[in-house]
Amino acid sequence: MSEIKIKAETRTEFGKGAARRIRRDSKVPAVLYGHGIDPIHVVLPGHELMLALKQPNALLSVDIEGDAQLALPKQVQRDPIKGFIEHADLLVVRRGEKVTVDVPIVVTGEVISGAMVVTEHASVPIEAEATHLPETIEVDVEGLDAGAQIHASDLKLAKGSSLAVDPEQLIVNVVPAPTAEQVEAELETAEAEAGVERDEPQVVSEAAEDDATEAAPSE
Amino acid sequence: MLIPRRVKHRKQHHPKRRGAAKGGTSLAFGDFGIQAVEGHYVTNRQIESARIAMTRHIKRGGKVWINIYPDRPLTKKPAETRMGSGKGSPEWWIANVKAGRVMFELSGVPEPVAREALRRAIHKLPMKCKIVTREAGEL
Repeated sequence: MSEIKIKAETRTEFGKGAARRIRRDSKVPAVLYGHGIDPIHVVLPGHELMLALKQPNALLSVDIEGDAQLALPKQVQRDPIKGFIEHADLLVVRRGEKVTVDVPIVVTGEVISGAMVVTEHASVPIEAEATHLPETIEVDVEGLDAGAQIHASDLKLAKGSSLAVDPEQLIVNVVPAPTAEQVEAELETAEAEAGVERDEPQVVSEAAEDDATEAAPSE
Repeated sequence: MLIPRRVKHRKQHHPKRRGAAKGGTSLAFGDFGIQAVEGHYVTNRQIESARIAMTRHIKRGGKVWINIYPDRPLTKKPAETRMGSGKGSPEWWIANVKAGRVMFELSGVPEPVAREALRRAIHKLPMKCKIVTREAGEL
């Protein structure tokens, strides 16, 4: 994965007032720490950071007034409704250093008819070099039948990366889908219990339609 | 319908509706979800109705999660009753949903089907809601 360059300014004022002033300028307050260095409080450009964080485990090259630091996003605080970034924690890493990160699972392919894919874990912890982190791990479920299970040990990992989790952990489970009759029966019971009345369209037969036409007053 | 099996007290005060959710603001299980944009009480009938609407549309092949639980009783005094004489009798079971809370999640169906199912479910809920999706690996 390539590094994403991002320019940062050091932060000298703290607290909610200062943080809100920074956010009003479309910037994000952030902190860099790790490897025994003193935490560095910085201000990052909001839009660039948002685009960078769209990539899973983006490796950032943070340029703090001429001094570049490699960092991985450790925690991101977002507004619960609007979703904009309020604050970011960045972890300083070194080239060649092994780190443990959560890599998202992407399920591809279609299971056979009558089966359903349940992703038990949306991501899996992987140990890999900070500069060679996998973006995603693909799991192919093409043609699998109900009862098939994919464990952590079955995942195809990139060279140089290893699992940081129990190899027996269930990742993807293929279960039998309920039949149409089962779904209908369950819904009818639930509707009866909840007192939901379904409006069925009234079927007007052709004979009744003819009667209605005859009964209509003619001029 | 969802209803607590046992409660410590039959009647409770009205919970506060202002403020945003402190947790449960992102998808935990499924690929698509319904997020509350404003705070509101949601009754167990509304939760069940939304679940039925969703399940009816996806038919089979999908999985639905309900992340809220109606654990608070709400009371009502009978009609044409004079004030006083104590608190009314329990009438509804409600979940106190704050803005930002992801209430329902859905997975195992294509995106257009999921969006339509969630749209139908949103119509059964009392507050403004939006559909949220999982972005692979986004922090």
